[in-house]
Amino acid sequence: MTPTFEGLRDILVNEYELPPERLTPETRLEDVEIDSLAVMELVFSLEDRFHVTADERLEAGFATLGDIADYIDRLRAERDGGAGRRG
Amino acid sequence: MKRVAVTGIGVVAPGGHDAESFFASLVAGRSAVRRLWEGDPGTAVLQAKEGGASIGAPAPFDARAHFPAPRRKLLDRVSQLAVVAARQALEDASLELDDDLRRTVGVFLGTALGGAASADEGYAAFYGGRADRIHPSTVLLAMSNAPAGWIAIEHGLAGPCLTYSTACSSSAVAIGEAWLRIRCGASTVALAGGAEAPLTPGTLKAWDALQALAGEDPEDLGASCKPFAGDRTGLVLGEGAAVLVLEEWEHAARRGARVHGELVGYGLSTDREHILRPTVEGQARAMALALASAGVSPRAVGYINAHGTGTRANDAVETAAIRRVLGAAAERVAVSSTKSMHGHLLGAAGAVELVATLLALRTGVIPPTINLRVPDPACDLDYVPLAARRGQDVELGMSSSFAFGGTNAVLVCRRAPRLA
Repeated sequence: MTPTFEGLRDILVNEYELPPERLTPETRLEDVEIDSLAVMELVFSLEDRFHVTADERLEAGFATLGDIADYIDRLRAERDGGAGRRG
Repeated sequence: MKRVAVTGIGVVAPGGHDAESFFASLVAGRSAVRRLWEGDPGTAVLQAKEGGASIGAPAPFDARAHFPAPRRKLLDRVSQLAVVAARQALEDASLELDDDLRRTVGVFLGTALGGAASADEGYAAFYGGRADRIHPSTVLLAMSNAPAGWIAIEHGLAGPCLTYSTACSSSAVAIGEAWLRIRCGASTVALAGGAEAPLTPGTLKAWDALQALAGEDPEDLGASCKPFAGDRTGLVLGEGAAVLVLEEWEHAARRGARVHGELVGYGLSTDREHILRPTVEGQARAMALALASAGVSPRAVGYINAHGTGTRANDAVETAAIRRVLGAAAERVAVSSTKSMHGHLLGAAGAVELVATLLALRTGVIPPTINLRVPDPACDLDYVPLAARRGQDVELGMSSSFAFGGTNAVLVCRRAPRLA
């Protein structure tokens, strides 16, 4: 589990009161009632936590929790001058 | 003109988590006024430092029982209350919402402050230097039409979705405007009502500074709001929501709906002299127009659920306005202010009090004005003091809402006749 996913899970457990055992990278968003608005809030919180700036909060088209963590990881990589660009 | 039936009622308000428990609490003469934020160290410090108002009438409402956490975070308390009241109303109406009906049903909601608490929270953190950014959800939590929007989304309602904000008459206006649409044939079914969640330290501070809030009764906190009494000192803020299903009469009859009552009149006027000060002329005109639109004589009114805030200004003016409209019949009419028990729900007041009026007619029990022990010569009507009056055969009721900003709104309802 990546630090980013751990950060995401931490927010979902503490602020969204979701049970940790239901939260894996493969968990589909609709299965934990995370809709596009909740994604917007989650990404915003993750930006603060990982010091990145997201260009897509509301219409990002994520399907799983892992997709969100991957997106933040790509932003971190870009910020740090890494190669990964969002495809 | 079409007739308008009330076929569903939903209420979450001080004293009750649904229509039945709310009305039972009023009939019992129970005050829902209490000390707020007891045991909350943050606000306790605030109170200790600043002094001032810390009483109110909270609704018995735990959002956790109604919304999963992700959704709950996106709804201000005002929207949570509204959505739950709407669920109750639709369930109560036993209305099958097919696709055709869903496309036409409208939502008409009143709120004075909307999601002001969420705006406060977001901006306080930012201005206070605790946060560099403001959460994007602040916008949708705070916007005044969020409660109506969430109701429409939850039930897939695609008719007009409108929010009225005329301070303390907001939900009376919302219900009245929905009534007009059904009456003229533009709508068949509407969800109409109001919601308010003003119990935050900031809101209470502001209202306290306006010298509108009641002082605490030193012997009984719950007796602090004393409408029409000689020793009244102001209003107590309350929170809650009420939503009604309004239905065109024939539509209700065809499906054999249970009818709580008929909405028969709506009157609007404006106090044009002062943004805060009520006038006898303005209040009387709204009442007279409501009765005229109902096509009934002022003598026919058996019960008035008064605006009755408990402020020095309103209660004397309202008494004079009732006398002006009803004339000699004012001696016989039962008038009560249920705000003595549930407090002033601002934008939700009109809806919650119309529910009290409808249920009074249906049950024949008139809820009292509690805390009315010391008479005021300027308030000399029958206010049903202290205890409910049972076994009353009342056919026609009126519910008055008079607002800061000057918008006076009065609704008239009739006890449910049998559906032909």
